[in-house]
Amino acid sequence: MSQSLRPYLTAVRYSLEAALTLSNFSSLEVERHNRPEVEVPNTSAELLLQPMHISRNENEQVLIEPSVNSVRVSIKVKQADEIEHILVHKFTRFLEHSAESFYVLRRTAMPGYSISFLITNKHTESMKTGKLVDFIIEFMEEVDKEISEIKLFLNARARFVAEAYLGEFVY
Amino acid sequence: MLQLQPQNLLVQKTFGEAVEAFRDGNPLTLDRIVSDFDSTTLHISNAEGNKGLLYLSIRTRAWSSVQRCGSSGGLEEFLEAKYKTQPGVSVASTVESGYDYTLEVDLNVLQPESVVQLSLIKTLVLSYPFQLAFDEFAQLSNTPDSQSQTLHTVQYRDDENLFIKPANDRITAIFETAFQDETDKVFGKVFLQEFVDARKRNRAIQSAPQVLFSHEPPLEIQAHLQANRTLDSSRRFVTFVLFPRHFQTPELQFSTISQLTLFRNYFHYHIKCSKAYMHSRMRFRVDSFIKVLNRAKLDDEDDEDEEQVSHTRRTITGRKVVY
Repeated sequence: MSQSLRPYLTAVRYSLEAALTLSNFSSLEVERHNRPEVEVPNTSAELLLQPMHISRNENEQVLIEPSVNSVRVSIKVKQADEIEHILVHKFTRFLEHSAESFYVLRRTAMPGYSISFLITNKHTESMKTGKLVDFIIEFMEEVDKEISEIKLFLNARARFVAEAYLGEFVY
Repeated sequence: MLQLQPQNLLVQKTFGEAVEAFRDGNPLTLDRIVSDFDSTTLHISNAEGNKGLLYLSIRTRAWSSVQRCGSSGGLEEFLEAKYKTQPGVSVASTVESGYDYTLEVDLNVLQPESVVQLSLIKTLVLSYPFQLAFDEFAQLSNTPDSQSQTLHTVQYRDDENLFIKPANDRITAIFETAFQDETDKVFGKVFLQEFVDARKRNRAIQSAPQVLFSHEPPLEIQAHLQANRTLDSSRRFVTFVLFPRHFQTPELQFSTISQLTLFRNYFHYHIKCSKAYMHSRMRFRVDSFIKVLNRAKLDDEDDEDEEQVSHTRRTITGRKVVY
């Protein structure tokens, strides 16, 4: 792991741990509703907490928006060139398609980010918070690794294919 | 399957079956339409009232442009010369309507080698302009400092062309290609770059044709293109430079032509394959993420605790016994 990735992930981990102190909170505006306050237009300022923005560089950022009963985590995955851009787009689309089984995944990413998670108090009640944070950190590590592996594979395949084709001309 | 084969497997198989059934005494009734790359259609059908006679018709996008390459009637003569030597194959008196060229096949005398030749018909049609270029090269190479004005154009897809330019020391084949899909465009760039670099990197394939890749039309065809139309930015030009060693003997000529005519298909086929691999790999990765997330769930641990306390009984498949 590179020198600057470790502190980046550590910062995200501690910020998430701090943000994931959620409690059940019924809506103040609609009777008998219980909605994630970070997602709905809100007139009461005390329900939303200060958003945290962790940035490694302009391509890799995390935005954590906490509220009284939910946290929205948006991740911007590194996209150095247009191949990585396509791969990240494909990959996040795959994930969003299976958001049903991911529980904490938001179906669409926040504008400007690659992928978003929405963790509500229901999730923290049915899952271990520590493991949930582990999941998000592992996700961030694995996505980068996966994208660069696929990119290497594409180059390797292209090289092999080109050599095999031109090899047919060698007499 | 790494390399694509120049012959059409289905045509080969159909004729193989037809010959076998005919020899066994119960000839097949055939009316089969076979498609090939680059909007090529082949039609195999029985002659009326005579099951020992089959017609093989071909229609291909490149036909009209290939026909324009040589003198009028040159392409038909070229194909006839190729098939005349095959026993049982002759040119039909009338071309089937809706098709470009029809061959008549007599199952009585058809040989297995001729079946292979029949399945190569598409490659043979495309090899005509190459043959013209080889012939012209032979003339030019005898007279040094001569320049050729010939440029053969094969329009093998709606907006993609192949240009063949003979010169006195080499033959240049230039593919003009465009990508419809944005993703293909990006992946295509990676693949094309490797085609250009492969020869420099690998000593074993030093003698392969030089490959060049550019966004601008190469000098050989610039005058021709500008006269015809304006260019849009999504075009790519891939140039293959063939040296005399690539077309010294008829066998070499044939293998060079069949490789070159399959270039676009080969290249796109491998782009699609890599995309398919990426899909399956991403699917697998999504599943592994779900597993990581499931570790966070409380239920699992509850189950274990319960088991330790009350010794829940389970069936052999692991299901719990509920009382």
